[in-house]
Amino acid sequence: MENEYYVCTGCGLLCDDIEVELEDGKVSKVNNACLKGVARLKECNRPAECRIDGAPASLEDAIIEAARILKEADSPVLFGMGNSTSQAQKNAIEVAKRTGAYFDDTSSFCQGPVVEAILENKIRTCTLDEVKDKADVIVYWGADPSNSHPRHLSKYTYFPRGKERQRGWEEDRTAICIDVRKSDTATICGDKFYQIPPQADEELLNALANGLSGKVPKVSFGMGPKKILELANMLKKAEFGVICVGLGLVYSLEEIEPLVRLMDKLNEVSNFHLIPMVGQYNMRGSNHNLHEETGYINRVKFTGNDVEHGAHCSVVELLRARTVDAALIIGSDPMSSLPGSIAKELLDISVITIDPCNTLTSRKAKVSIPAATAGSECGGTAVRMDGVEVEFKAMTETDRMCDAEILERIMGEL
Amino acid sequence: MGFGQFLKAPEYDIKIITYRDIFQSTALESSGCGDEYAERSAVILLDKGDMKKMVLKDGRKAVLKNNFGRVVVHLRPSDYDEGHEGIGYMTNSPWSNALVSSETGGSGVPKFKMITASISDAKDEKVTSFDE
Amino acid sequence: MTNALEIYQLLPKTNCKQCGKATCMAFAAALLSREVVVDDCPPLKEDKFKENYEKLSEIITPAGEASESGMIVHTEKCIGCGNCVVACPVNVAEDPYGAGSGNAPTSDNVILRVEDGVVRLSNVSQCRRFGKNKILCNGCIVTCPTKAIEFV
Repeated sequence: MENEYYVCTGCGLLCDDIEVELEDGKVSKVNNACLKGVARLKECNRPAECRIDGAPASLEDAIIEAARILKEADSPVLFGMGNSTSQAQKNAIEVAKRTGAYFDDTSSFCQGPVVEAILENKIRTCTLDEVKDKADVIVYWGADPSNSHPRHLSKYTYFPRGKERQRGWEEDRTAICIDVRKSDTATICGDKFYQIPPQADEELLNALANGLSGKVPKVSFGMGPKKILELANMLKKAEFGVICVGLGLVYSLEEIEPLVRLMDKLNEVSNFHLIPMVGQYNMRGSNHNLHEETGYINRVKFTGNDVEHGAHCSVVELLRARTVDAALIIGSDPMSSLPGSIAKELLDISVITIDPCNTLTSRKAKVSIPAATAGSECGGTAVRMDGVEVEFKAMTETDRMCDAEILERIMGEL
Repeated sequence: MGFGQFLKAPEYDIKIITYRDIFQSTALESSGCGDEYAERSAVILLDKGDMKKMVLKDGRKAVLKNNFGRVVVHLRPSDYDEGHEGIGYMTNSPWSNALVSSETGGSGVPKFKMITASISDAKDEKVTSFDE
Repeated sequence: MTNALEIYQLLPKTNCKQCGKATCMAFAAALLSREVVVDDCPPLKEDKFKENYEKLSEIITPAGEASESGMIVHTEKCIGCGNCVVACPVNVAEDPYGAGSGNAPTSDNVILRVEDGVVRLSNVSQCRRFGKNKILCNGCIVTCPTKAIEFV
């Protein structure tokens, strides 16, 4: 079979073996992608409209109005980025620099701390291709890829044959799940599922580190030392281990240090790596691009040649403290994804959205600019959850502009 | 009209943990403003024992309320093997986010996965809509 | 999931051979693989087995609804993760570097593939649960996170 493969932009896994069929210039069938990916690559039911103050407008006018808002704002913020191409992210950084804006992305309240630790070499990582070829022990901690990244186990970690894993999953690999509930992924892991109470992750991280140091591991909940040592021994015996960290673990840790300590300990006695289960297809790209430019992965403010950084520059704190008076939101829907008590602050400031679909945020926005969907309608590059750069091409033609170009045009008006 | 109409529905405290559901995420990809997304998001899954104790019935609706917000969602028993007394599960969505605390301790990260709220029978109230 | 033993329990257990099989157990196995139908057992139609007959008719859904190997995909539960596609031993044998390695299938001989987000069957006669040398392979069932695959 002669096949042309495309890349799915449905999540941070960026599956690169997607086949599509077109009908009337639109994607009509998507093969090999999961359910969520198919929904992403087919057109959304409610595409965004070009509007200013709720009234239909031309793209030209919307871009001029967006630039005017950013120029006149005392303290604008650029936010989103997870669903944008790397080029769009770079253009957004330029817009932020020019307008003296805050710049933050969704990793700010997702996988940010983990990606930061990886980029600062505090945590050892590896690529998913290495996992496929070598990994024998795979741990999902606070992650349920069956629902968030459906092909994670089948394409890279557990089920595929790899160079050094030729005998199949039953013999060659062990998948372990640690979570507060028996998720679909936990079900697949069978008796290698370790259920813990909410907020008990740090305790188990420390107990495992103790177990690996030859101490008796103790926790305050119903998991005996024997069970913890059994888990610790599985990790210790790994030839090539990987911990895939989900938001369940990230959200339950006040600090990333206990995770770093366990990884250090594991690498004294074993061979372990960590991969963040990044949700949006290019959230990690935004971290990389900003890191290259400023040394920080997110949460910055540009002032002249200076860059300020810290939690106070995060989109959540900016809205909470009402620091900003305008927001340019790219490929993100904070009205849905932020706590309602914080998102409501967006109603009081001038919001510009750039998005392929109609969202709760775009409908409340002062200016809504429709963009082409990356992956199906426009190409570019993105960074996969494991840090590997992936190039992708468009599947169809469109008269809608890509987000990178829209940002370039806004820049031109500034 | 039953006598119950005039009584305030009893309230119970619960913790809510949010999770991802692929069918709900898929509905979001199609349209975050659509009916299917609302249908799959505005739901709380409760422990079967809790439902009995709180005299809440499958298929009815519940009011979830705390200092940060109030939503009406569908009520269903969860199908986990193990009980989870006092804990309800909701997918990540505007409905769960309506209850997330605005207190972050300045960290920039809201406590998305640990929500405390009160739950009570919603009687005839309609499920909260964010789609006006 | 139904197995041959469960079916056997509902049969007359007299080994009367009227069905053409040597034993009731053999008939049970044949029923499971849809080689025969419930009506092929004459004693079952007697009044005293009425309840068992009805139960069996319920368990043994007509082959028309399932594939020839008895495989049913509940498409409304399938999430298109492809675990079954990659784990299926026939897929691995037919397409080791495509489906067997986690990638898009590159062979027309695979049994399972994901189309439009849902698993689709083809070449089911190659399924290890089918035909004369069948074995109770469950590679696609135990790897499914949503219990979307079932054999009847």
